[in-house]
Amino acid sequence: MKEFAVFWGCTIQTRFPFIEKSTRIVLDSFKLPYRDIDGFTCCPEKSLVNNIDHGAFVLTAARNVALVDEKNYDLVSPCTGCVSNLATVQSELKVNSREKDEVNSLLKEVGREFKGTARLQHLIPFFHDVVGIHTIKRHMKKDFSGMRIALHYGCHMIRPSHALRNDDPLNPRKFDNLIRAMGAESLQYITKMMCCGQGLDRIDEHDMALHFARIKLKELKAMGADAIVLCCPSCFLQFDNNQFLMEKEGEKFGIPVIYYTELLGLSMGFTPDELGMSSHRIDVAPFIKKWEKLSAGKAGNPFEEGLNEPGALG
Amino acid sequence: MLDATLNFKLLEVCSRCGACFSICPSCLNIPGYDPRAVIKDMLSGDHEKWLGSKHIWECLECHHCLEICFQHYGFENAMTAMRTMAAKKGIHPAQVKRGWEMFVKTSRLGEPAMPARKKLGLPEPKAGGVDEFKKLYELLKKKREEERAADKAAGE
Repeated sequence: MKEFAVFWGCTIQTRFPFIEKSTRIVLDSFKLPYRDIDGFTCCPEKSLVNNIDHGAFVLTAARNVALVDEKNYDLVSPCTGCVSNLATVQSELKVNSREKDEVNSLLKEVGREFKGTARLQHLIPFFHDVVGIHTIKRHMKKDFSGMRIALHYGCHMIRPSHALRNDDPLNPRKFDNLIRAMGAESLQYITKMMCCGQGLDRIDEHDMALHFARIKLKELKAMGADAIVLCCPSCFLQFDNNQFLMEKEGEKFGIPVIYYTELLGLSMGFTPDELGMSSHRIDVAPFIKKWEKLSAGKAGNPFEEGLNEPGALG
Repeated sequence: MLDATLNFKLLEVCSRCGACFSICPSCLNIPGYDPRAVIKDMLSGDHEKWLGSKHIWECLECHHCLEICFQHYGFENAMTAMRTMAAKKGIHPAQVKRGWEMFVKTSRLGEPAMPARKKLGLPEPKAGGVDEFKKLYELLKKKREEERAADKAAGE
């Protein structure tokens, strides 16, 4: 496997270092050739930087990609926004040679060059395509059978598709495959592909951001989802923090929010504390309790075990 | 140099299509949010009246419109252009302004949370690239300035 730099991004390192923790635990356990490299800046965040200065957006992203290019690494990020922004600029420069020349004329003055050779991947498609489900299963000690998980893809894991080219942008499957491979049910629900709405918090529309979170959480509560699983710090902020703020105002949903790397870590035998899950605003204990109860039932019930044996029913 | 552009031929089709309206999360959930109205005004040159509207910032950039669009274009390009125009005039949500200023100053949107990192046993964060970033951004601004001067001279 080719060496890859991990692009942590601002949000994970600033607000959710425990996501970095569970990601490192998983990457280390799988003995993947990941590297931390000097020099990264903000990806940069599209809705903020691109809206104000497209040139700054392109130049900053191109510089980040150049850092990986020059080491001949690929790049993997546990943040959907970072990958989407970097890939958007990479694809734009690959088809627009005039713009690429302009960018490189500036980068040259600081001794860098954008080539666009690095493969830029989000952690989910990376685990699906490069690590592979068979390898994942080999590392698992316990599965999640009986658990009802609601996936939230996160828009920028798969879109824009011309830049990311990793899954069906309107009907993606890879994250579902990973969850099912862990034995859990991936709930199919009406608002599954709806944007989390966290962007509204960034434009001073907090009530509307809560409204967006509420729509999805209401449906999941009605369906009896055991958790919402995602792999984006911005979506995590929306469902964990904003759910907590609504609960403080008396609106209770009780849907634990779990990062993919945490779920994988749990299945490998790491404890919620080792994975930093005690830092969540919404208590993950109901999820863990149900899971432990289910697994205990599986181990300690010879009657049921007998029924699951091949040929048990004749 | 390195400025965003808008394709009015594609936008013309947008003004008569609107397929993305039925899939856009903001259109479906925010009362009064309808990029079709903004695009119509952009095409007729009346876009300025939208510069102060909060609606132009309510596009979540989820790219759903882009993916369902048979032109692979969608509302978002129009909304981004409107936001850029508004920002140039200094009209943007306070948080956007704060975020932008932090980005330009530090090249990041926040610094690593050191006490929490220590508690979690995470390694020292790697060095950032703020000095190089600042130098590049100054170079970009300088090049743009030179181009503007050259354009002006050519005009005279």
